[in-house]
Amino acid sequence: MITLNHVSKTYVTKTGEPVKAVGDVSMTVNKGEFVCIVGPSGCGKSTILNMIAGFAAPTSGEIHVDGKRVTVDVPESLGYIFQKDTVLPWYTVRQNVGLGLKFSQAPKGKIDRKIDKLLRLAHLTDCGDAYPHQLSGGMRRRVALCMSLAVDPKVLLLDEPFGALDTHTKTHLHSELLEIWRELGQTIVMITHDLDEAVTLASRVIVLSSPPSHTLLEEVIGIPYPRDVFELRQNPQFTTHIQRVWKVLGNQFRAAA
Amino acid sequence: MSSEPAVQTLPQDALSPQVSATPQRKPSAGRVRVVVCQILILVLFLGLWEVLTGIQWMQKNSIFDPFFISRPSLIAARIWLWLQPGRNSIWPHLAATLYATGLGLGVGVTSGFALGVALAQSKFWARVLNPFIIALNSTPRIAFVPLITMLFGLGFASKVVTSWFVVFFLVFFNTYKGANSVEQELVNFCRTLGGRPMQILWRVRIPTAAAWTFASLPNAISFALIGVVLAEFVGSTTGMGYIMTTSLATLNATDMFASITILSVLGVGLVYLLRAVEARLLHWSAEFRND
Repeated sequence: MITLNHVSKTYVTKTGEPVKAVGDVSMTVNKGEFVCIVGPSGCGKSTILNMIAGFAAPTSGEIHVDGKRVTVDVPESLGYIFQKDTVLPWYTVRQNVGLGLKFSQAPKGKIDRKIDKLLRLAHLTDCGDAYPHQLSGGMRRRVALCMSLAVDPKVLLLDEPFGALDTHTKTHLHSELLEIWRELGQTIVMITHDLDEAVTLASRVIVLSSPPSHTLLEEVIGIPYPRDVFELRQNPQFTTHIQRVWKVLGNQFRAAA
Repeated sequence: MSSEPAVQTLPQDALSPQVSATPQRKPSAGRVRVVVCQILILVLFLGLWEVLTGIQWMQKNSIFDPFFISRPSLIAARIWLWLQPGRNSIWPHLAATLYATGLGLGVGVTSGFALGVALAQSKFWARVLNPFIIALNSTPRIAFVPLITMLFGLGFASKVVTSWFVVFFLVFFNTYKGANSVEQELVNFCRTLGGRPMQILWRVRIPTAAAWTFASLPNAISFALIGVVLAEFVGSTTGMGYIMTTSLATLNATDMFASITILSVLGVGLVYLLRAVEARLLHWSAEFRND
């Protein structure tokens, strides 16, 4: 479980001006929930994830992951997928996926079994010995996801992980992510600027305001799992949710323009 | 992906013409034409040199005097003579130069790499040492050659120290830049995988830095060779530089050109050797993607 209690974050820009990105955000993400955070650009979405992961400290307020207060260290069993490519180009796919287990000096047999299992899960079995530069963007995303899953994270933070992909690849990855989530049951917090993506995946969508940001809306997505991501857009519930969230988000965009 | 690994944006060394001479695997029609033109230019250049220095009027009234610029045929004959064993053999001199170059290069690359990585670990010390490094780097390094010769005497030690000195800074700067070019996201990602700072250093920072180090090696090789030959100019009784200063003393242009030719072949050979090693070690990098 993740809780944010009146969290704020103020940056100091290079010119010395303080910028309040995160105003006052409180939220609770329950165990096993899939939450998407959407909001206008600059509202500190990534900052919130960074603070949950312990990469940055909040200016005020407290963050707890699994009951433990997050300080400067990365909380245990937390996975983080960045928008940027974080696959190591000098390792093969297998070596990349096994990296986390190497860090914890797991026995070789265990590492190999785990890699096999994850590659099957992510449909990468045939590319185990390939180097990242031989893979497509979508495949590299899968490798990054496998790298993270290898250390059995209970919490997964995803920072616009599919932002740079085309719709076709993206939809397939949505389907796979939902499958993996349903099989492994992590708590997921994902940031996206793509409202369709948010409603497709999440059990709850949180809408943040323009900076200094606060929570504007928490929309529970009532569409039951397992969801067929290829059919979802025809579902009238999907459209209703999109419209409800857009009403709030659109006003923010208008105000910012 | 939107972001490419740092290695793909390695600084291109405009100063190393050897690199552009790397053969490509798939010869195309254009490639053949390029090679033909290159050979033509070479033949034309050597042919003119040979013919013009053979004309008596030219010898008297222009620069085309074999006494000053020798002749390709004489140079080739001299190299052939030098390659034979015996009193005139070049091998001991070549070996002396090569040995000092290899040692200076090895020590220079190793120490430059180690210090580059080490300094990148501490923002504080990087800031403290910054002005000194800039000062040392912007002083022409060959200005230190007489001092080095004074300190380390005539001969082997001076040669190695000189080539170390010129190679070190080059490799150090590139490695330092490379180690700093590691993206924070990548480091943070590895932290979430449970990586401790030392593990991230070994598996992430050092490989990234190494790719940048490799990019500096063609220049490092030239620098090492230049350093050794310079030290041999200033004070030595062996080596290619010694042959060249001796030929200056005896006004022997053929010996000079023969030495220059041998040195340039040596330099190109070393760079090609490096490319082979690099292609094996950095096969994952974009530069070798189509090999």
